[in-house]
Amino acid sequence: MATSRPVTAVAPVRPADGLRAARGSLSAAAAAGAGVLLLLVRDPHTLGSYGICPLRLLTGWSCPACGALRATADLAHLDLAAAWSSNPLWVALIPVVVVVWAVRLTRQWRGRPTGPLPAWLAWSGLTLVVAFGVLRNLPVPALTWMLP
Amino acid sequence: MSTPDEPRDPFAPPPPDPAQPPAYGQQPPAYGQQPPAYGQQPPAYGQQPPAYGQQPPAYGQQPPAYGQQPPAYGQQPAYGQPVPGYGQQLPAYGQAPAGSQVPAYGAGPYPPPPAYGAYGAVYPKNALAVWSLVLGIASFVLSCLLLTGIPAVILGRQAQKAADEGLADNRTMATIGIVLGWVAIGLSALGLVVVVIVLAAGGFTYGSTSY
Repeated sequence: MATSRPVTAVAPVRPADGLRAARGSLSAAAAAGAGVLLLLVRDPHTLGSYGICPLRLLTGWSCPACGALRATADLAHLDLAAAWSSNPLWVALIPVVVVVWAVRLTRQWRGRPTGPLPAWLAWSGLTLVVAFGVLRNLPVPALTWMLP
Repeated sequence: MSTPDEPRDPFAPPPPDPAQPPAYGQQPPAYGQQPPAYGQQPPAYGQQPPAYGQQPPAYGQQPPAYGQQPPAYGQQPAYGQPVPGYGQQLPAYGQAPAGSQVPAYGAGPYPPPPAYGAYGAVYPKNALAVWSLVLGIASFVLSCLLLTGIPAVILGRQAQKAADEGLADNRTMATIGIVLGWVAIGLSALGLVVVVIVLAAGGFTYGSTSY
């Protein structure tokens, strides 16, 4: 890794090579865009429009992702307040995801190596998600703003 | 005479075998702390040109810097030191790809990696298995099983492949991630069947269970 960096950093990258290196990031963005389009066409606020949540049905709990589809659809309608009330964690994470995606895309485009995202990010993300899931389901009035 | 000789032969092979696994076993915990440190490297790539330019002064500080490895992780100038370090051990300095270095060691004896371990560059793809496991766990924390189960399986496969190539040492973690991912996918399929049955039986009559 260390020896390769100076070489790749200096070497010019043809657009075709950059495109090939970034095809994973670009297709991920295309999939996300298609998903948002689908949410604009089919409103997730309608009950059962995207199926049912078995966890909510069986336990009544809201999992950490509950309200994420509704929040995304609200954001697509530029309604930040409604999105935040559906799933604040997801709304807060979207900018982070976009920045990470943009950084990786830029590096791939320039022909620099992009390894897997670091492991600490996976563990801290899992911790954050679990903590959010526990907090939003606690029967504490001060925390119910996390619920969708 | 023959009896004392015979025990020696059978006994001779076993000692190396038990001796090696413990050596392997000691590696993973030591490396387990590396991925985080390694993960801090990519963001620093953007600072390459300045870091590279600081190499000449860094050369003079090589010996003391080696002793200060842990703090050197966060500091970009430390990169100038691993490079000469690699150059001494690897004649293949001009061959840029990192992938060519590690497989070469994986195919050969294992002793060299411990020396590299201090830099965290031995198993550059350990994070893959971690992501697979975390996504597999997340499949059950989040109730949308398919969305994380499928990536968990895909990343787990990549992690297993990386482990087979000597680029990672946490194959077991990848396997667990794959199993969790498949269980999540299976549960999703089961859930879809249930939804179809409920729909056929008369639709949804309960309250807010939307996604």
